[in-house]
Amino acid sequence: MVWSLGLLAAILLPLFPLSWGFNRLLTSLPGGWPQALAVIILPQAGLELLRFSHIAHTLPPLWRLYGSLWAVFSSLLYAFRAITAREVGIWTRLLASSGLALAWLAWLSGAPLATVQVFALAFCLPAALLFLLAAALTRRMGGAYLGLRGGLVVALPRLSASLVMTALALLGTPLFPAFFALWRSFGHLPLAWVPLLMPLPLLWGWATGRFFQDLLYGDFRGEPMTDMGRMTSALIGLMLFASLFLNLFGGGFSA
Amino acid sequence: MDALAVSVPFLPVLSALLILAFFRRSQPLAARTSVTFMGLAFLGAAVLLIHYLVSGQAHVLDFGGSWGTIWLDPLSLVLWTFISGISLIVHIYSVRYMVEEPGYGRFFALLDLMTAVILFMVAAADLITLIVAWFLVGVILYFLLGHDHRRPAAGRYAFWTQITYRFGDLPLWFAALILIRSYHSISLPVIFAQIQSHPGLQIWGLPVTEVTGVLLAFAAFSRSAQFLLHTWLPYTMDGPTPVSALMHAGIVNAGGFLFNRFAPLFEHAGMALHIAFAVGLVTAVTGSALMLIQNDIKRSLGYSTMGQMGFMVMECGLGAFPLAVFHLIAHGFFKASLFLGSGNVIGDARRHDGVPPDPIYTSVVERRPAKPSRLPWLVAASLTVLVPMVVIGLSHFFVAERLFYEQGVVVLLFFGWVTGAQALFAAHKMSQQDPWRLMMGILVSFVVVVIGYTLISHYFAHFLYPSLKESQGLFQAASIHMLSFDALVFLLAAIFVGGWALTFFADSFELGNHLGRRGRALYLMFYALLSRELYVADVYAYLSQVLLRWSRWLNVWLGWC
Repeated sequence: MVWSLGLLAAILLPLFPLSWGFNRLLTSLPGGWPQALAVIILPQAGLELLRFSHIAHTLPPLWRLYGSLWAVFSSLLYAFRAITAREVGIWTRLLASSGLALAWLAWLSGAPLATVQVFALAFCLPAALLFLLAAALTRRMGGAYLGLRGGLVVALPRLSASLVMTALALLGTPLFPAFFALWRSFGHLPLAWVPLLMPLPLLWGWATGRFFQDLLYGDFRGEPMTDMGRMTSALIGLMLFASLFLNLFGGGFSA
Repeated sequence: MDALAVSVPFLPVLSALLILAFFRRSQPLAARTSVTFMGLAFLGAAVLLIHYLVSGQAHVLDFGGSWGTIWLDPLSLVLWTFISGISLIVHIYSVRYMVEEPGYGRFFALLDLMTAVILFMVAAADLITLIVAWFLVGVILYFLLGHDHRRPAAGRYAFWTQITYRFGDLPLWFAALILIRSYHSISLPVIFAQIQSHPGLQIWGLPVTEVTGVLLAFAAFSRSAQFLLHTWLPYTMDGPTPVSALMHAGIVNAGGFLFNRFAPLFEHAGMALHIAFAVGLVTAVTGSALMLIQNDIKRSLGYSTMGQMGFMVMECGLGAFPLAVFHLIAHGFFKASLFLGSGNVIGDARRHDGVPPDPIYTSVVERRPAKPSRLPWLVAASLTVLVPMVVIGLSHFFVAERLFYEQGVVVLLFFGWVTGAQALFAAHKMSQQDPWRLMMGILVSFVVVVIGYTLISHYFAHFLYPSLKESQGLFQAASIHMLSFDALVFLLAAIFVGGWALTFFADSFELGNHLGRRGRALYLMFYALLSRELYVADVYAYLSQVLLRWSRWLNVWLGWC
């Protein structure tokens, strides 16, 4: 029973290869809102399952070690795969899976469950927003595949700016919650683990660079499109700005 | 004064927010707001620096959060004044330069944010603030370099810069984590105080200071475009010229700043300093060599910056930390003026016919003697070799005799001598009607520059590092075994003298015409190697293509899930 719950948790809080189920589930959902809600709820449900199963007390130290190594591998694998994703939805899924695999690492290294929940949320909220923006892009272009039309920032300046800022928030750019969540989870890890995780920000940076290259640069080729409303983009900006202030005054880091 | 100190880095932030919120569409208002706020920030920084010179008290400002502290010490105050000054010049220059570019308001907002982030970075009093600002410099620079969205190349080169910067962020993160765990604080003054009281603390059987010193050095290498991490620098010229000026004058100096900020740590990290010396030396030579064969003025300036950054890191590797700061400020002003003037040079080149000078042309058209008139070679050789040695030696002797006992100073004096001799040698090779007049002019300039530089750098060093113990500690950490040091100096001397001899004889005996087939092939191969910039960027491009192929293959195999 305990192990079944653990395996189910590995689907909901994605850990390779069971993360395949998580990604498949997200792909099969219709539209942006169901995907956005799922990416917030499923990982939290996975963490609740872990709490309910009390698996943390039964795991021998060696299993913890192997589990942690596997979580690092899973995170690196998804980050590595994200560098060639050009569809906004796929890109978001892969990077969310990469970030959420680290929640396993934090949990296995003994971080309190509440900390792990906040950690997961720090990645899930921008991912959810990206799913909504991908849906908005699909409504305008028939798909959210970047790089075909080039220079979307000219045709859809507000939507592009929202995509850029939300992508930065997802990838742990400093001042956004994911950065501090990452720092706090590093704080629970033995130092010897840190070099293993170091390629991760590099791969995330690479994935972002390619994402922005496809989104922002080049001459736009296509019909004129209606941009996102001023109020919507202002709301997104306000949300991201509020998350910055939360970090400045409440989510800092101490030794 | 504390309120003024808080306002200095926040003024550009406020300006950026005002432009983004209200003045994005109004070019004059955006420019006026940005320049005014930047001017105020510069004034504030200058007032704080003067206040420090009068009061002499360094202190930390705390905003009440768990991080976000500001350290008002000589290093941050000098750099605040320098950065805000350079940024103000760049702002004023951009007002007209960028007027026809799209996204005028956005450009000024980004310029303001970049300045603010650099100001926070150089004044950070805790590791989190430093890391946040260090990281954000890379992010904002990406958007500044890729300002022109119509050109995919701009985005590509901005991405190269961003990924190299990210590569440099990682050792800094790791070093910060080690320091936080070892000394149980994020506050830099606290960590430095603990390093002084417990310099022997170990991690994994190695001294904490050595491990973190090497990591910090690597972080500095990526920011200051050291060899193998330099490929982004010459290509950032695709960004707007004001950004190139700001980058080459300020942002790229972050490596030198990092060494100086962590100077109390590097006092106990000799190995990191030796690595810095070696990497800096290789970078200085490579950057200068690559600069010489460029035919594009901006790329040539880019490689010149690489060479200068190599020299700056080498100075740190020799323990001359304050000299590196002095160097980065002097280089910053010099390079900013070159970049901002590069447009005029390009304009001049377009206006003039570009007929290369040859003896007949100079004789007939310019009415100058076709045959070079030079000093007798023995006189020229004596002046070239002896004058720099005497001038540089005496100026240092009168300023501070103790410096002669530091290995780092001896190596720097050696480089000073080589540079001086090279300048006089180049003057000797010029064709002039009155070679004595030219040589005397050069000699007087040389004496004035050397004495001025020696005096200013000495007093500047005393300002940054008032404690003699700290300066001596850095020189001591950079020292190596006497025998190895002598061997190194002899080796460097042999390389330089050999290079001079080769240049002289190649010129005098026209060695190029006497090269055999193999010699010519070797020469061409060397030229190809330099013109392809040592194939470093090609190797990186190939490796990244391989990784992208694997990533694609994995995605297809796993059904993109």
